[in-house]
Amino acid sequence: MTDARDSVSFLLGHAPREIRGADPTMTVLEWLRGKAGLCGTKEGCAEGDCGACTVVLAETVGAGLRYRAMNACILFLPALDGKQLITVEHLAERALHPVQQAMVTYHASQCGFCTPGFVMAMFAAAHTAPVVDRGAVDTLLAGNLCRCTGYRSIADATLDVCAAPVDDQFTEAEATTLAVLAALPKGPLALRHGGRRFWAPDSLATLAALVEAYPEAVILAGGTDVVLWVTKQFRELDAVIAIGGVAELRELTTDGGVLRIGAGVCYTDAMAVLAGLHPALGELVRRIGSVQVRNSGTIGGNIANGSPIGDMPPALMALGARLVLRRGVVTRELPIEDFFLAYRHTALAPGEFIERMDIPILLEGAVLAVNKVSKRPDQDISAVCGAFMVVIADGWVADIRIAYGGMAGVPARAPAAEQALLGRPWNEATIRGAMAAIEEDFSPLSDMRASAAYRATVARNLLLKLYLDHAA
Amino acid sequence: MDFNEAAGTNPIDQTRVVGHAHDRVDGPLKVSGRATYAYEFHNEAPDAAYGYMLGAGIGKGRIEALDTAAAEAAPGVLLVLTHRNAPEQGKKGKGSARAQMASAEVRNFDDPVAFVVAESFEQAREAAHMIRVRYVTEPGRFDLVAERGNAKKPEPKGSTLADTAVGDFEAGFAAAPVQLDVTYTTPDQSHAMIEPHATLAIWHCDRLTVYTSNQMPNWAQHGLASILQMEPTDVRVISRYIGGGFGSKLFVYGDIIITAMAARKLQRPVKMALTRPQIFNHTSHRPATIQRLRIGATPDGAITAIGHEVWCGNQEGGTFETAANQTRLLYAGKHRMTSHRLAVLDLPVGNAMRAPGEAVGLMALECAVDELAERLRMDPIELRVMNDTQFDPETGPERPFSSRKFVECLRTGADRFGWAKRNPKPGQMRDGHWLIGIGVAGAIRENLTMKSAARVTLDPQGQVIVESSMTDIGTGTYTVHAQIAAEMMGVPMERVIVHMGDTDMPEAAGSGGSWGANSSGSGVYAACDKLRRVLAQKAGFNADDVVFAGGKLSQGNRSVTLESLADPQGLSVEAEIDFGDLTKRYAQASFGAHFCEVGVDLATAEVRVRRLMSVAAAGRILNPKTARSQCIGGMTMGIGAALMEQCVVDTRHGYFVNHDLAEYHVPVHADIPDMDVIFLEELDDKSSPLKAKGIGELGICGVGAAVANAVYNACGVRIRDYPLTLDKILPHLPPMV
Repeated sequence: MTDARDSVSFLLGHAPREIRGADPTMTVLEWLRGKAGLCGTKEGCAEGDCGACTVVLAETVGAGLRYRAMNACILFLPALDGKQLITVEHLAERALHPVQQAMVTYHASQCGFCTPGFVMAMFAAAHTAPVVDRGAVDTLLAGNLCRCTGYRSIADATLDVCAAPVDDQFTEAEATTLAVLAALPKGPLALRHGGRRFWAPDSLATLAALVEAYPEAVILAGGTDVVLWVTKQFRELDAVIAIGGVAELRELTTDGGVLRIGAGVCYTDAMAVLAGLHPALGELVRRIGSVQVRNSGTIGGNIANGSPIGDMPPALMALGARLVLRRGVVTRELPIEDFFLAYRHTALAPGEFIERMDIPILLEGAVLAVNKVSKRPDQDISAVCGAFMVVIADGWVADIRIAYGGMAGVPARAPAAEQALLGRPWNEATIRGAMAAIEEDFSPLSDMRASAAYRATVARNLLLKLYLDHAA
Repeated sequence: MDFNEAAGTNPIDQTRVVGHAHDRVDGPLKVSGRATYAYEFHNEAPDAAYGYMLGAGIGKGRIEALDTAAAEAAPGVLLVLTHRNAPEQGKKGKGSARAQMASAEVRNFDDPVAFVVAESFEQAREAAHMIRVRYVTEPGRFDLVAERGNAKKPEPKGSTLADTAVGDFEAGFAAAPVQLDVTYTTPDQSHAMIEPHATLAIWHCDRLTVYTSNQMPNWAQHGLASILQMEPTDVRVISRYIGGGFGSKLFVYGDIIITAMAARKLQRPVKMALTRPQIFNHTSHRPATIQRLRIGATPDGAITAIGHEVWCGNQEGGTFETAANQTRLLYAGKHRMTSHRLAVLDLPVGNAMRAPGEAVGLMALECAVDELAERLRMDPIELRVMNDTQFDPETGPERPFSSRKFVECLRTGADRFGWAKRNPKPGQMRDGHWLIGIGVAGAIRENLTMKSAARVTLDPQGQVIVESSMTDIGTGTYTVHAQIAAEMMGVPMERVIVHMGDTDMPEAAGSGGSWGANSSGSGVYAACDKLRRVLAQKAGFNADDVVFAGGKLSQGNRSVTLESLADPQGLSVEAEIDFGDLTKRYAQASFGAHFCEVGVDLATAEVRVRRLMSVAAAGRILNPKTARSQCIGGMTMGIGAALMEQCVVDTRHGYFVNHDLAEYHVPVHADIPDMDVIFLEELDDKSSPLKAKGIGELGICGVGAAVANAVYNACGVRIRDYPLTLDKILPHLPPMV
């Protein structure tokens, strides 16, 4: 990457900024509160759980600006490159922004520490989709915790001010902002800070070459996990390759009955397409993380992480998804269930990375059900996540795929249960047989989230629920 | 001003400003990120160095070896403070302050082992993790259940005795035709306010100023002075904005003490914030309880014997959770006993969290009352109404309640919530996969008052400036002080400027125990009352029938503007409200009733609250907007306590495992459905000149039981071990088909 830039360029509010020589694994939050002296953005947890550090990144999409709420605490500085960073201070440069005024009017701010995060999440929403009902509020603000108000006043403020797109100083300045963003330097990044190196290539070929050349480098997608390696586990990341600038990895296409999702597609961008594939997938994605987390987190990252409790893998297994892996110029495909070898151990070879997922579109008549079971309805890790795809033909099970998360060291299919169903009549007796067979498939663990007995019972119950919901 | 007799009519009764739903005056600052919190005073100390605390990685034991060489040599490091070079300290002080890094002893997990100060936060953090510590681990007592047998009768907690007894409980209970004997448990809980504890310490010669996040700045001032062995007058504590506290910030922890010690050593300002994980183990938590309730009744529902025994744990010298307190006051009954037993545990220190005592005590008592109602085949509301008492049942009619609308709360709520539609037989209401149930619980929270001073200044522009060391932890005290001063002085709220959270100002009540607005507001009342007299005298009026309105004081057809009476430098008075023995002569408490509807998923036992409504009677509601939000916030915390909040104890290593906001669950938006609060009209003239009572904690009191009673009504499963998580409920659910 000989043509790469060695500095990060962005707009802070309306002012162009260039950062050179800074630690690329510094978070946007640390930079804002420490270096930039902008303390309006708060640090509540420093790991993306509370939303107090929510800022908005605006970027050029098509002919306009797209505003997205992000957790500044789980965002490395280079993520700002080419974008406009808007914080709570920028909203009230003249008078209170309508969102801020609504928060005052409805008494939606008490101690005030979570407030800037709420303001920014609402500000982004006021520039994107209208928020029409309480359910939409719950989804929009699931990533913002408030311990004082009990949320009621915040929900009322949101329903008032985010019901229709707002006209504010940012919409007024949109043409100028677009022009300034367009004038920012473009192209790949190669940053250095002492011995630390950070690359952000802008093509698949360069990415592949870099990953092959530096197989020990950490591949950074949304960073919702990787940033915590630095801030919570105090790891020194000496080589990081960010995939966010690679256009090919952000592609979302449908091709011959297959939905192709690039590894760099964030959950937010995938959500609508997946919901179109099946509403259960949309509902699953809605409950993964929060708006802020979905705006940066990617499905590719969720898979590459190899976590036993990632919520997407069971659904992808039920759908029969395949992964396309790349090493240099060579690609290979494998079914997603073959990717997870053991706890946090995947089939990725050194120098290899996930390029995309290929998801077969559901056949006409196929039933899909996905159940994420957690103590808390939002922002919670699943105790059990079950995904089921069944095709019933003339009262018989013609095809079945069952997968669970949280039941073993990796997300996995349930072969014995599947065997107990395939080619059998679709009735309660068959289901009871499959429920019994789950015991052969899994020996779950007890932990804080649930006991082994609970997990085993729920895994069985979800099968029964599938049957009861689709008995006819 | 002494408050010894019931308040007569006073200017607050005009309710031109008080009693109305004003927006909070600090709202615009907070929504625009301009309210300055403890860690953010850059301008006051642009050269502040950054501190990072390294906490102990064991639950109990001592430091055997400590290697700080690498950290000391690390880039940017200015100081590594450990027990080896920490200055001599006083042992303990006000606000539960205790010496930090005073010896090699490890008192609990995340007890400070070292404090690294560097030019940048990242340098301090990095160096802290270069420190190598070798511990000698000692066996610790980490399990309350195991230590229950070793629990002893503790010293009184303030004026709260460990035990009370009236009549002959054992005989009364044995003779009761209907008996209930049940044991409930509640877990350790964390305040989980959103702002972490943080401190900036600045020394000017021998005078210390700390910017910190503390509910009780004067406690912190005196606590710090004791530990640092200096005069309290040489310590100034400033807490202007506090990002939530709920009791966690009543006290003095390592952040305040160590930062001050390091800043003194370096002769340079130092600041530090606890990390979110450190908050859980280094600061305090609400301690777990085991509660046995025995209630005896006649077949028609009259309680004849009621006993509430509580076991809890704390570190040596720690206090007990007063979980039987409400049982001393809530219901009638001839034979009574309550007791608290305290075991020594080596877990982090337990202390007050929102409504200490009642919050968890009612989770047991109000479920037990429902269990009794079922045994009696009585409606749970009728049982509560039948056993209402208008006087302190431990003392007798000579100590009546100052005001008590408990029955009215229950009746109003039943009517508004649609209680009549409830099927008393569990498991009868369904909505698809969901079993639906309705539950009720009563609420009581003792009304506490604290003496409180304020200074009021009339400036030559006719503005009224109110100053005190009071804090606003999100409750709305800035606004309430402005309302009271505006009411008293007859000016619009825009003409009032409120300053607080500074120990250089007159000592106010601070924020805790729901006493904040009522007590400190009465301090403002007293100061304004004094200013009114001074002004009347200056104007040559007879003080008693002067009218303060429209920025003027008038008598008959004569009137004078306020500003014309102010000296060029302003006219300042200071006064204090001192509460006498009215809380002894009258039982004082706020009351309420909660109504809850839940759904329980048949396949997974996930519980979702569908509706929650509370009715509250808490004297004069000073500002319905702030009070309502306080209640809803408390109710939300009550849902958390019922369904999810629990510090998971690692009983081998002695610490709270789920020490972050991903794993310590507090409710999210989707947990909080349709919620409402109804305030009953009430004036309590024995509580304060404002005729208000505490409201900040009433919302949480009893909610957990209302949720649990609704869960029982939904599915017939009675879990007596909070929180009611899905894995506890599932094995007992009826079959799906």
